[in-house]
Amino acid sequence: MTDLLQLLFAGLSQGAVYALVAIGFVAIFTVSGVINLAQGEFAALAGLVAISAVGSGLPLLAAVVLAVVSVALVAVIMERLVIFPVKRMTTLVSLILTLGVSTGLKALMLLVYGPNAEGLTPLTPGGFSLGGVSIRYQELWILLIAGVVSLAVYWFYERTLAGKSLRACAEQPVAARLVGISLTKASLLSFLIAGTVGAIAGVLASPIYFTSWESGLTLGLKGFVAATLGGLISVRGAVLGGLLLGVLETLTAGYISTGLRDAVAFLLLIIVLVARPAGIFGRTAEARV
Amino acid sequence: MSLEVRGLHAGYGRLAVLHGIDLTAGEGELVAVIGANGAGKSTLLRALSGLLPVTSGTVHLAGTDVTGYGPEKLARTGLAHVPENRLVFPSLSVADNLVLGGYTRRRGPASARKEARDRAMALFPRLEPRLEQAAGTLSGGEQQMLAIARGLMAQPRVLVLDEPSVGLAPRLVGEIFSALGKLRDDGLTLVVVEQNARAAFAVADRVSVMDRGRVVLEGDPAALSTDPRVSGGFLGGGFAADADATTEAAPATGATRAADRR
Repeated sequence: MTDLLQLLFAGLSQGAVYALVAIGFVAIFTVSGVINLAQGEFAALAGLVAISAVGSGLPLLAAVVLAVVSVALVAVIMERLVIFPVKRMTTLVSLILTLGVSTGLKALMLLVYGPNAEGLTPLTPGGFSLGGVSIRYQELWILLIAGVVSLAVYWFYERTLAGKSLRACAEQPVAARLVGISLTKASLLSFLIAGTVGAIAGVLASPIYFTSWESGLTLGLKGFVAATLGGLISVRGAVLGGLLLGVLETLTAGYISTGLRDAVAFLLLIIVLVARPAGIFGRTAEARV
Repeated sequence: MSLEVRGLHAGYGRLAVLHGIDLTAGEGELVAVIGANGAGKSTLLRALSGLLPVTSGTVHLAGTDVTGYGPEKLARTGLAHVPENRLVFPSLSVADNLVLGGYTRRRGPASARKEARDRAMALFPRLEPRLEQAAGTLSGGEQQMLAIARGLMAQPRVLVLDEPSVGLAPRLVGEIFSALGKLRDDGLTLVVVEQNARAAFAVADRVSVMDRGRVVLEGDPAALSTDPRVSGGFLGGGFAADADATTEAAPATGATRAADRR
């Protein structure tokens, strides 16, 4: 029983990181049909920026803010340079373009930060044991902050004019233009959101899961799987998908084999794409966020 | 003139669809544009609202040259386009659809937004009890009403509508068109593109008949409704006896029709 609780808790905190990465995929995909393969690199870059900022003497919180702001900026620049100039964007073209950005960012991170994996200083070091389940404070921070960020993103899409205008672009791009919403501004805003949540995921995960120039690959793929579980168009689905994936992974690693951990994600992806392409929580393929 | 179109040419890539359209609508006038499938009516509206680039010709909106404006800028300048098939935002509530209709007026006075909304509600009282419902759950007629109300939220000078009657029961068509008549009586300028000539003739002040990317006839509805070319055109599916179904794709053969223009 303690084992199960331990695995569930670890799975949820891991899943919360996936959920944030998944929200980034959803934010961009719904607006422009772009699948951003550099989403994982946003997280890795944020982790590395924060680590090196702390290393050069910046206080932890300032380093985190610096990392999130600079990665959000990278996402916005990426949109302007790579996505905006393309006249007829299709999902396939977007895969090729963002794969290029992902590779470029990886090379840049390797050059600047070197090949070693490091962990950011935790927000609160240490942990405690509760009924035999050992809990790190950082894991609680992950759950808390990921929860707050998810709620904030959800609130943004449901309640604010800017959020509603993004949903309008996702559902009826022609009508959105006719009521005066600029699709290019919407796309830029969606990258800003994706960069910000991706960066938050990166700095939250780094103290426990460590960050290197190539850690964005796995994180990005897991986030993509989580987003797909939720149908790729729903923030709620992405969060649930992320948590589900995290839990299934740790359960597999704990009860079956650690080696199968990463296979779970892709097995799930194949099953969902074949059996329920609209996502396991989706009723229809209708666009919503 | 609220809307003045002169010599408008437009098309899709290298395919020219409109070959010099002239169209005017004065303040508080309801102009119907009718024509068979493929005559270029929707293309005309898409060019008017900036969805499609204009190749040549000019468009003036309340005296301002708006040729080449994109849809966002045109919406801000005062042209609202109610698109074909309504295109409401399905997962958003009716109220949110209306809020987004007023997107270009978001920095304007709240009182003006509220007034626009009250007027739209008075015009379509059926929408009022459904404000919190997702727009995708409305019936076709209600979605059309919502699409028009959304257009009105932009507080436009000119409202252009693409086939508002399509797919609706005759009673609803009557309801929609009488609402358009009311808007005209309140001083709004309307351009309605329709295949349903009967509904359009009943409320229009003037009618333009399009064929193969040109305006081939123009006049008041009473005179045109008895014109054999109009009824023959609609019942026969084209204007000339040799008209083929793919009129849009045959720009060159349309040249002879210039003689029909007034």
